[in-house]
Amino acid sequence: MPVFTGPSVLAVTLLMAFPVAYTLYMSAHSWFASSLTSPQFVGLGNFRRAFVEDDRFRNALWLTVYFTGLATLLQLMLGVAIALVLNRPFRGKGLVRSIFLLPMVATPVAIALVWMMMYNPTLGVMNYLVGLVGLGPYKWVSNAAVVVPALVIVDTWEWTPLITLITLAGLATLPIEPYESALIDGASSAQMFWRITLPLLRPTIIVALLFRAIDCLKTFDIIYVMTQGGPGFASETLNVYTFQVGLFYFHIGYASSLLVILFALVLGVSLLLIKVRRGAR
Amino acid sequence: MIRVSKGRRDRVNPWTYMLLVLLLVPFLFPLGWMFLSSLKTQVQNTAFPPVWVFVPTLSNYREVFQKNPFFTFTVNSLVVALGSTGLALLLGLPGAYAIARFRRTGIALGILTARMAPGIGYLIPWFILFTKAKMIDTYTALILTHLIVALPLVLWVMMGFFEDVPGDLIESARIDGCTHWQAFLRIAIPLAKPGIVATGILAFIFSWNNFLFSLIVAGFKTRTLPIAVYSFLSYEEINWGGLTAAATVITLPVLLLALLVQKHIVRGLTLGALKG
Amino acid sequence: MIVTRRAWLVAMAIVLTAMSPAFAQQQFNWQQAKGSQLRVMLNKHPWQGAIEPHLKEFEALTGVKLVTEVYPEDQFRAKVLVELTSGASSIDVFMSMPAQEGLKYMRAGWLQPVDEFLKNPALTAPDYNWNDFLEKTRDAMVIEGKIVGVPIQVENASLMYRKDVFQKYNVKVPTTLEELDGKAMTDDGQPGYGIVARGKRAAATSTFAAYLHAMGSTWLGPNREPMFNNEDGVKALDLYGRLLRQYGPPGSENNHWYEASSIFSQGKAAMYTDSNALFPVIEDPQKSKVIGKVGYALFPRGPKGQYGSTVAVWGLAMPKTSQNQKAAWLFMQWATAKEQVLAVQSEKGVLGARDSVWKDAKGLSKVPADLRESLTVGSKVGTPLWNPPVVAVAECRDAIGAAIVVSIQGGDVRAADNKAAADVKRIMAETEKK
Repeated sequence: MPVFTGPSVLAVTLLMAFPVAYTLYMSAHSWFASSLTSPQFVGLGNFRRAFVEDDRFRNALWLTVYFTGLATLLQLMLGVAIALVLNRPFRGKGLVRSIFLLPMVATPVAIALVWMMMYNPTLGVMNYLVGLVGLGPYKWVSNAAVVVPALVIVDTWEWTPLITLITLAGLATLPIEPYESALIDGASSAQMFWRITLPLLRPTIIVALLFRAIDCLKTFDIIYVMTQGGPGFASETLNVYTFQVGLFYFHIGYASSLLVILFALVLGVSLLLIKVRRGAR
Repeated sequence: MIRVSKGRRDRVNPWTYMLLVLLLVPFLFPLGWMFLSSLKTQVQNTAFPPVWVFVPTLSNYREVFQKNPFFTFTVNSLVVALGSTGLALLLGLPGAYAIARFRRTGIALGILTARMAPGIGYLIPWFILFTKAKMIDTYTALILTHLIVALPLVLWVMMGFFEDVPGDLIESARIDGCTHWQAFLRIAIPLAKPGIVATGILAFIFSWNNFLFSLIVAGFKTRTLPIAVYSFLSYEEINWGGLTAAATVITLPVLLLALLVQKHIVRGLTLGALKG
Repeated sequence: MIVTRRAWLVAMAIVLTAMSPAFAQQQFNWQQAKGSQLRVMLNKHPWQGAIEPHLKEFEALTGVKLVTEVYPEDQFRAKVLVELTSGASSIDVFMSMPAQEGLKYMRAGWLQPVDEFLKNPALTAPDYNWNDFLEKTRDAMVIEGKIVGVPIQVENASLMYRKDVFQKYNVKVPTTLEELDGKAMTDDGQPGYGIVARGKRAAATSTFAAYLHAMGSTWLGPNREPMFNNEDGVKALDLYGRLLRQYGPPGSENNHWYEASSIFSQGKAAMYTDSNALFPVIEDPQKSKVIGKVGYALFPRGPKGQYGSTVAVWGLAMPKTSQNQKAAWLFMQWATAKEQVLAVQSEKGVLGARDSVWKDAKGLSKVPADLRESLTVGSKVGTPLWNPPVVAVAECRDAIGAAIVVSIQGGDVRAADNKAAADVKRIMAETEKK
């Protein structure tokens, strides 16, 4: 058996364990990139600084939760709703599924740039479209108040299909019996949905939620490309902030501690969701 | 609504098609807009209200290919994607098999945890290591970093597929005198082939789309396509025609791939979820 | 031994000939690093675009092979920084703006001072003439007393305006900030904006510096404490944000120079305050709609008569870890020799740093008279402090940039300015322990 798992384990250890160990080590040190000075031990100093002194960190923490919460909620509702529609009989299911795949596989960087173009306050087509129904014009990602929702729209466009597809797969595995007995009992469609479908789907939906939550907490590409965390710091989530601190300002120690915090956040949310799922079984 | 009558042909509600169109349009629109804009001139692209009917031009594509070594970028993306996918499959398939057969749930959870770690956490130490080892701007370095995403993916999804391989088949093979390896190669792999295809495609797509790792680890010679399109943003001022042409060129391969092997991709993605 | 008169004459002749420039020129060995290879990191910039076609001339002259890498600015800075940090970099020459990263790089021990190279006649061509460079550009290359690079171009924050629009409305070019304020009005009946400028956090700091200094304030006081939040500083911040908020395009707070220059070169704004290094971009025959219609003026003076022009200088620098320092120095001086500066200036309109080239008719051929005028004056009276002179420049620029964004959005300017000053103070304390 070691022969089977050996290479994988080795690869994983080398690739991932080393950075993890390095990050943990550095999170307890302070090192401002230089060839002359070496890292200085500061114990929990970085963490204290983040939570107590650094309001840019607290801002990033809040924005991360805000972005993730809004995005996952929206994607969940939309995703399940669309799955229900797609579950109806019609011709060309394969084609439709293919089309739904496209936003997910399109290169995020390229998509982010296209959305930036569409969001342009004076020339973008988004303002034109919302203008047709009498809304706007908005400043979209150029306005601190609406930048996060604007980014959530992009993320939702990209990843709702994932929730839809997972839900569809889940729907396909649902047993028929409960429905048959419900029909005999004279239940309405709505009742069947809320009392049978949803509870049965719950484990599947929660897994989808788990994946999306993990990814949303760590979203980087679209935010970095579209706003770099701006305007000001209005869209600077923890991941983007850590990138700035580590790779632009080169405070390696402090960045490492931010990474540990981010990881703890992701782990915490994941454990919570896993627990909820176990409860649903 | 759940249609209880499975197996019988239902009458298709025409309203369904209308609803479908309503749903599909927003999801297709940005991609369509990207493609349309790539065929417009700068003047047309900066017009407001937007121009819907126009004479298409290929000048943006010409510009993209002439002014940028897009061929090199594509080759780089290909090499790295194929390399990391191949390596991930090589290392991950045996591992996933072992986890599935011998119920190593601990490792499974470990893999999920690896997925949770932010990418930058891998980046900084790896970058410093690579720079010291003078491995920056090499394919090897890029492939290794992409492996960080690909390997857990392979392990996670293939775990589920290998679990589906009936245990009896393996057992009888073993009784017949096969070694573990032979059982793996001759029985498990062929049976799990759809899964392998699915995982391979997914790993390829994620590597192709990867931005962060390539941004930091790739050098001048090994720049991949996402970096190329990002650098369109500077100095060239906002050249939307060129930008969307580049964006189209980059996303076209994965879009086509998705359309062709849609079934497999869906399987890969959803199985990872259902078996969770 | 009696030295005959004849011998003396011969000796004198030899000495005199050896001292003559022509002889010395023939003696300068451009080939002394023949066979080596240089890794050169370049920022995507008008200068880079102008010098690239000439690089093979260097290779032919010296026998040194050049491997150049070009990146867009943000990525360029990050890449150079990361490589130098690792201590194992193979970079030989890189484009550098000492006012941005010089202090940090110097203190980190990454820069190779070139004073000794300059003084050594075996290594520096006799006609290089260091003093030919404009004074401020030479100053810009000095960090903590040492010369760390050679200037490749010079730029000022300046006021660019549409001559035709001004003519149409019969408006004179503003020469003071007050006049700028009055003239930036947007005519509701006409499409277009009164003024456009950068607003994107850190990037805006560069152009804001002009307003700050024109108002009479500056970044740091005599004891290196932040003083840009004093009365004048707050006035400057308020003016900057108000101009953009009232007369600028929507979404200014997200505009880098790419967007701002695009808006201006598409003819959508009457005025643009930014670096005049954008001259080639604004007059790009393939993309610009305002070719020939743009006036280049000195940045308006403040109420106390202070000049706002800032002087920014890009140069070439050499990392201490370079294994090919001789060859690197040869490249650095070749790229900034009079011949090359004349070439980039006359071909692409890059604003070179050599006085002699500015006096040369060929050097002026591409540059409009008012640009030359404002550049010359601006470079004499301007301040090199377009960035706060700190070690952690990137971080401080972000902190100050955040205040600029608040101002554009109409928030509490004084509070934002104070917060930025407090942040800068903290950052300095953390990163400048000697």
